[in-house]
Amino acid sequence: MSETVAADLVLLDQPFTAPGVRIAIAPAMMRYALRARDPAVLSAVIGRVLPSRIGDVVDGIACLGPDEWLALLPAGTVLENETGQLVSVVDVSCRAVGITVEGPGAVALVATGCPLDVERMAVGRATRTVFETVEIVLWRKAVDAFHIDVWRSFAPWLGAALVAGSPS
Amino acid sequence: MSGYRLDKGGRIDRAVPLSFRFDGQDFRGFAGDTLASALVAGGQMLFGRSFKYRRPRGLLATGVEEPNALVTVDRGPGRVTPNLRAPSVALHDGLIAQSQNRYPSLKTDFGAINDRLGALFPAGFYNKTFMWPRSAWEKLYEPAIRKMAGLGESPKERDPDHYGATYAHCELLVIGAGPAGIAAAMDAAATGGRVILIDEQEEPGGGALADPAQWAWLAESLAKLAALGVTVFSRTTAIGHYHQNFVVAVERLTDHLAPSQAAGPREKLWRIRAGEVVLAQGAIERPLVFDGNDVPGVMLASAGRALALRFGVAVGRAVVVMASHDSGWRDALAMAEAGVTIAAIVDVRPAVSSDLQAAADALGIAVYLNHSVTGVKGRLEVKAITLCHNDDYLAHTLPCDALLMAGGWTPTVHLWSHARGTLKWDAAFGAYLPDTTVENLRAVGGCSGNWNYGDGIVVATLPSPKPVSKQKAFVDFQNDVKARDIALAVQEGFRSIEHIKRYTTNGMATDQGKTSNLNGLQIASETLSKPVTAIGLTTFRPPYTPQTFGALMGHHKDALFQPLRKTVIDDWAAANGAVFENVAQWRRARYFPQGRESMDAAVARECLATRERVGMFDASTLGKIEVVGPDAAEFLNRLYTNPWKALEPGRCRYGLLLNEQGFIIDDGVAGRMAADRFHVTTTTGGAARVLGMMEDYLQTEWPDLNVWLTSTTEQWAVIAVQGPKAREVIAPLVEGIDLSPEAFPHMAVREGAICDVPTRLFRVSFTGELGFEVNVPAEHGRMVWEAIHAAGQEHGIVAYGTETMHVLRAEKGFIIIGQDTDGTVTPDDAGMNWAIGKKKPDFVGKRSLARADLVREGRKQLVGLLTRDPAVVLEEGAQIVVDPAEPVPMTMIGHVTSSYHSAALGRSIALAVVAGGRARMGQTLHVPMPGGAIAAEVVSTVFYDAEGSRLDV
Amino acid sequence: MLLIHCPYCEEDRPEVEFVNGGQAHIARPADPSSESDADWEKYLYIRRNPRGRHHERWRHIHGCGRFFNAVRDTVSDRFETTYKAGEPAK
Repeated sequence: MSETVAADLVLLDQPFTAPGVRIAIAPAMMRYALRARDPAVLSAVIGRVLPSRIGDVVDGIACLGPDEWLALLPAGTVLENETGQLVSVVDVSCRAVGITVEGPGAVALVATGCPLDVERMAVGRATRTVFETVEIVLWRKAVDAFHIDVWRSFAPWLGAALVAGSPS
Repeated sequence: MSGYRLDKGGRIDRAVPLSFRFDGQDFRGFAGDTLASALVAGGQMLFGRSFKYRRPRGLLATGVEEPNALVTVDRGPGRVTPNLRAPSVALHDGLIAQSQNRYPSLKTDFGAINDRLGALFPAGFYNKTFMWPRSAWEKLYEPAIRKMAGLGESPKERDPDHYGATYAHCELLVIGAGPAGIAAAMDAAATGGRVILIDEQEEPGGGALADPAQWAWLAESLAKLAALGVTVFSRTTAIGHYHQNFVVAVERLTDHLAPSQAAGPREKLWRIRAGEVVLAQGAIERPLVFDGNDVPGVMLASAGRALALRFGVAVGRAVVVMASHDSGWRDALAMAEAGVTIAAIVDVRPAVSSDLQAAADALGIAVYLNHSVTGVKGRLEVKAITLCHNDDYLAHTLPCDALLMAGGWTPTVHLWSHARGTLKWDAAFGAYLPDTTVENLRAVGGCSGNWNYGDGIVVATLPSPKPVSKQKAFVDFQNDVKARDIALAVQEGFRSIEHIKRYTTNGMATDQGKTSNLNGLQIASETLSKPVTAIGLTTFRPPYTPQTFGALMGHHKDALFQPLRKTVIDDWAAANGAVFENVAQWRRARYFPQGRESMDAAVARECLATRERVGMFDASTLGKIEVVGPDAAEFLNRLYTNPWKALEPGRCRYGLLLNEQGFIIDDGVAGRMAADRFHVTTTTGGAARVLGMMEDYLQTEWPDLNVWLTSTTEQWAVIAVQGPKAREVIAPLVEGIDLSPEAFPHMAVREGAICDVPTRLFRVSFTGELGFEVNVPAEHGRMVWEAIHAAGQEHGIVAYGTETMHVLRAEKGFIIIGQDTDGTVTPDDAGMNWAIGKKKPDFVGKRSLARADLVREGRKQLVGLLTRDPAVVLEEGAQIVVDPAEPVPMTMIGHVTSSYHSAALGRSIALAVVAGGRARMGQTLHVPMPGGAIAAEVVSTVFYDAEGSRLDV
Repeated sequence: MLLIHCPYCEEDRPEVEFVNGGQAHIARPADPSSESDADWEKYLYIRRNPRGRHHERWRHIHGCGRFFNAVRDTVSDRFETTYKAGEPAK
């Protein structure tokens, strides 16, 4: 555990490394909150394939709920948004901050605060869950790599909590 | 000086000597020792003073059940831990420990007078004695008792250590790494799946550690477990079993190391979810109850055995074993083989198996069958014992310096009970054993009653010519409960063990009665002549052993205690001298003092600047919800009191939200961005609650509506620019929006750009002045804020905080949810019937507004108050009366909800809820305060610009 | 900490991802204005507090976000079953 606990937390300004883990702020990206009763309608509106099973991710679009998807796309990617359709497409690019946790110790580090069986989470799956008291979207991008999306104002706390939980 | 180190044997490493201090005296030990074993090896039999009678006490046990030997370990400033059990403290070089409950020293304690006066302190003594006079309790009895009672002292400094926490998942969790636990882990590991084996001791092995014959097997098994990939944790105590095999355990990471060697967290909290849990916690030996059973040097036979065989320590030079169980014989024989002189084995039973008898004979150990110990000579250590024949009480004295008790075994069923597993009484064992459970949980080995310790009988108290009432025969050593206290409780009419426990405090000490519960039950059962099962069993609760607060907190301390949410403009506010306040989880700038300006002066300056020129305010914390879909307007129409369907795109409306009970719970402005898209705002604290309520209605009541909700609170930074110069300030920065009053009236919203970034620009006002709320994507918030601040300089712009916001809105009579409302205020109470869509057939809360209590006369209504003395600012929360001369208790008709000094009006203003308030316009009411009642006139809630002319520019 | 089976995610998930939503199967009257005071009071305030089988609402708020219904035994705290909102009581 590292001496990073200050009275006033600031977002990690550079990657933090500890034995087996690297924690960094993900580059800026486009985020869309996507909702629809019928995935086909939404798919047609945004012109993209949607995962149908909760927890699956296709081309950066994660299915979070039966009628809910979160698109985490490279900066500058714009999704079409016609009005009058039976869908909701909302740009929430600035709502969250991405934190990446990578390395052989990544699973153990995420497990310090996430109550899911992170070890058994399949690669490529994403889900909304919590890290201690803070809501996150956890996306396992590789065996040793996670992307954690967290609302902006919680990001300094989450970054510091991950650093505090890192092996010394 | 009784105990000593044997020449050989034990798992200690004699090549690694360690030195340590106990009560200021130097001692030596070896690597592998505990504080307890090293002290006994050094001849220290006196470990502490008892809680109530201050009787000298020694070591009873070598496990977590130890009730007496509580010590304080000092690892430096802030690292002082009281009430540690000496047998659970691993020895390291330089360890510093102190005994507790003694003054001035362990051997001479003034409090020991309590023991001489023992007859004055029977069960229930405190309840019975310190009753009258009542005032003496606070002034005399309680302080005196507090000084005498208690265990170690809590540390006063801040704990500098870190504590970790984690979740873990496994298919099998085995608790207890004795032979049974190891076997269970081995079986499961062979079938694959994740297996975790945890054990509270310094090394795995459990009972096998005190049995050298098993050491080779133990080493081999541990190597095999490692090869099979089983995770084995030592120094890890499972403190509680919760639903669905959720086990919480605490791992002690550094306390066994010298402070200079310790790195990383001190302890780690493991939150383990297991498919199956195997409890292999073993059993705890039961003391025997007889006169003098607490003299230092009287301990459990299992402790004598562990000291000899695991630590190479003899508990005395002439050791007597008092047994009611075969295990005492086996321990005695094992100790004798290890070089301990066993002076005699006494057994309360008339006969034992011929094997045991023969083995004792072979070693030349004197055996007394059908005998009991009826007295112990010596105060600070055992000098001799009195033995009596059970039938004729023929007594004789036997010199010895240690007496070991073997009263049978109590299976450790604590975690089984946490899991709400049922227990069944097993008369043969004289103990409760695990029975049924709804969890995927099983008990193996000693804690399931499955062991090979041999036979025994259960005796409540040893036979003695002395009546129990004359004996100092202890049941609960830590709480100083004697057999006679339990008998007295029964005589006084207590029948249930739950009541007996609370009356006598038996089993209520920090050891939760690990060595006393069953003896207490047996005594109550015998006194009442009822079976044990008719008396019950007290409930075991987590934690299994006492834990540090640090372990439970993990890293949730200081800034990590809980998230403190900050807006993207927070840094600017901090750099510009803002004083902050916390609102919900958010930190918000409260005011911006210049130089050494007071809050009142800063707020007055910010208010006047906003009223006269222009002010800017960070409103980013407001909750925001994007409501999208063809039925968006219909949905808002059903939720909010106001009508929404006719609102045109580009227009805004103030929305009032009730709960179904008809009370105001939130408010905010919503802008219609398109026919099927609304930008809804909520209060800062209500954001999550309102979104949850909306989802609830949408998903469960109106699933037919085609509308979806997205939280955009953190997507947008919001900058309120308010004041007569507001338009002039933003005009040069805005593109694509006609800001003229004709094109962009009050309560309108436009999309365009500001400072070259997209904006949703609202023309709204929470101040009564011309105002805009600039919404920009959060990443641009700071830049736009600074640009507006710079552009405003020529207009004399000020940044203002929440305090000024509160004053400005109060001057206009705008309510703050949760301040002027408290969950019992209806729209009519708040004077806000104008916000109700009169033609709407229904909205959430509408039906309740017609309930009798909500339409009755005399409900509290929101009004304004003007104090007769304009300089006096009423206190928020102060009660309001009609007649200040009325004798106490006065009739209170309401209270002040908001109160400020208004710079614009040059006087104080207040809002209040007052019974029948609107009918009291012009009346003078009174606010009784310690310095006298304050007179105030009831007025309208709108104090400033009642016509609203300042908005219309 | 309970494990709760979310009928939408079709997974057992930790209790901290959920919030309890009170007694289940209490529909908001279609036309509240026609409800008597007594009936409306019942809708607002009167709830069961059974010892044993209890139908209650939960929301997987930190997961898929959906409300669903559950049958929980209030004595053992065991979930008998969970099912999607809108399905008949089990």
